[in-house]
Amino acid sequence: MSKHWLRNMLMGLTVAVGIGVGLGHAQPVHAAEPTYTIGTVDSFEPFEIPNNKGTYTGKNPGIEIEMLQQIAKHEGFKYNLKVMSFDATLTALQAGQIDASMGGMSVTDERKATIDFTKSYYDSGVVMAVAQDGPIKSMKDLKGKTVAVKAGTSGAIYAKSIAKKYGFKLKYYKTDNTMWSDVQNGNSAATFDDEPVLRYGIRNGMKLKVITKAVDSQPVAMGVKKGQNQELLQKLNDGITWMEKTGRMQKLLDKYTKGSGTKTDGAAQRTIMGLLKANKGALWDGLVATLELTLVGAALALVFGVVLGVMGIADGKFFPWLSATIIYIFRGMPMIVLAFFIYIGMPSVIGHKVPLFTAGVLTLMLDEGAYVGAIVKGGFKAVDRGQWEAARSLGLPYGKALRKVIMPQGIKIMVPSLVNQFIITLKDTSILSAIGVMELTQTGTVIISRNMEGFKMWLIIGVIYIVIITLLTWLSNYVQRKLA
Amino acid sequence: MDKQYKIQVQDLHKSYGDNEVLKGISLNVKPNEVVCMIGPSGSGKSTFLRCLNKLEEPNRGHVYVDGYDIADKKTNIDLVRQNIGMVFQHFNLFPNMSVAENIMLAPVQLNKMSKEEARTAALHYLDIVGLKDKADVNPTTLSGGQKQRVAIARALAMKPDVMLFDEPTSALDPEMVGDVLEVMQALAKEGMTMVVVTHEMGFAKRVADRVVFFHDGVIKEQGTPEEIFDHPQQPDTKSFLDKVLNV
Repeated sequence: MSKHWLRNMLMGLTVAVGIGVGLGHAQPVHAAEPTYTIGTVDSFEPFEIPNNKGTYTGKNPGIEIEMLQQIAKHEGFKYNLKVMSFDATLTALQAGQIDASMGGMSVTDERKATIDFTKSYYDSGVVMAVAQDGPIKSMKDLKGKTVAVKAGTSGAIYAKSIAKKYGFKLKYYKTDNTMWSDVQNGNSAATFDDEPVLRYGIRNGMKLKVITKAVDSQPVAMGVKKGQNQELLQKLNDGITWMEKTGRMQKLLDKYTKGSGTKTDGAAQRTIMGLLKANKGALWDGLVATLELTLVGAALALVFGVVLGVMGIADGKFFPWLSATIIYIFRGMPMIVLAFFIYIGMPSVIGHKVPLFTAGVLTLMLDEGAYVGAIVKGGFKAVDRGQWEAARSLGLPYGKALRKVIMPQGIKIMVPSLVNQFIITLKDTSILSAIGVMELTQTGTVIISRNMEGFKMWLIIGVIYIVIITLLTWLSNYVQRKLA
Repeated sequence: MDKQYKIQVQDLHKSYGDNEVLKGISLNVKPNEVVCMIGPSGSGKSTFLRCLNKLEEPNRGHVYVDGYDIADKKTNIDLVRQNIGMVFQHFNLFPNMSVAENIMLAPVQLNKMSKEEARTAALHYLDIVGLKDKADVNPTTLSGGQKQRVAIARALAMKPDVMLFDEPTSALDPEMVGDVLEVMQALAKEGMTMVVVTHEMGFAKRVADRVVFFHDGVIKEQGTPEEIFDHPQQPDTKSFLDKVLNV
């Protein structure tokens, strides 16, 4: 499971919120009871299942969250949850910023050196799952077939180690839901994944079945910093023992991993209207974030693009060269690479974190700005050379000739392309979901990881995009008519 | 540099790549003088004219206007240009402004006049070129001859000492040519210093103090209209005039 989180660190695919957003829900504090700060991860089904706002205040928040709720009540303590990435929980634990951490954490010898673990309450191993009514009965049937795995997970590592022996090919996915759908639809023959993760998916309606025993089993536990917080460790251990003895633990595990086809949400919430109703807050927030990114990103891209465009038509060689080079670089680079570079690569160079929204807006500014730059340059160049000569021969300096004569004519030429670019910017904000910006697409990913309603949710989100773009197109047509 | 000349050009060279367009031109223009430049296409006369206000940058040689060396980097070319009006073959009116705004732009932007003064001046110059009623229309609605007269009014509004005309009637329908030449002739009569590149031999004959014949990047011959048109000395001049006068 450790590799699973390595993947998260590398790709920045934090599902719910960025590291910087240290959300938690405060419990009422009573003087009599101690209060602990407990760090957990931003999502790791079925241990941590964020609600559609990325917090754990919902009805089925996951095995570990519910476990902690029960233990705290039984042992008489309060806690604040701090949500962060898995790697951040480990760092925060060592730094003393949190008293304990949890997040489907495997007990490894390496970690034992710095962490005192609680009793384990779950053994997580890799299992293979296939389509419920598919032809695959065992690993032997996989010869020549394709197997779906999630990049960086222990499932992927295990599958790779046996791929040659059983003669199958691997296909890598980023999200569980897409991967499982692929197996369910028969595009891939099977998938390997952590057992609890798979069981949770099946429980939530994926038409898959587990057909192997767990291998590479590793115990899962909570942890405190080595030698610290022994009182809390004791309480947690007592609580886990109590839950196991009273059958509460098994009941809780079964709730999230046993059975199939019965989903955590009711059937009424499975219709399009139901899904819309249940998720309207999250979808609205996602839409607002998308619009914010679009507006701020497009405004900055316009400024950057105009600078590039003006440089592109300047006298001399240097500025046109510089402009052309900048445009070449940012147009040539896929936006997702640029986003990763800014969000994940830059901090190590500049020495501090780039906030998520800033990284998103910066990505849009540079990428869309390069396109705007090319449009502006082209627009200016399309203005007849004679206009320059007439303005300059009257004695107008370069800047005044540009502003008063060339720009007004150039802008008219540019407007349709700029409007088009604006709409592309809106669509391109969805690429920022790759670094975990909670815009509309990422909101969809998070909601689907909860309810497994891939088809209906993507349909809803697709329609929202089209509606917004239609409105924008009307608006821009109106503006263009006014300008003409 | 001689103060008695409005424009003084010394040994001007201009090349585009390997193609030498001007091969060492020297020419002086006195105040109030009207100089017409004639010659075959590609002989360098337009390029020469455009060197006079630095729309083209010469490779070698000097151009002095009102005593300022315009090749000198220290010379503020924008200030020099304010005193040199230029009229183009293709008018180059600003389509994003009305006729009056075209004329008002430079005086207002360069703080020569307030908006009200500039408007009054624009109407005055439009009156001179016979287009006062067109002040508030968009220039794209005008005929070619009207456009060119607006362009002349626009240049005049900066109250220049020198006017440069680059084939001002070449893009006009024949029936429009007369109106434009009439305005130019009136200007000459009032004593404007003018350098005109033209194919209108009749105009050159009537209005020019001096006619300069360009051929292959050099000045082949110059003199009064009588000298050039009636008694050309150079075979190239004769052959050119034969072609253009006997159509």
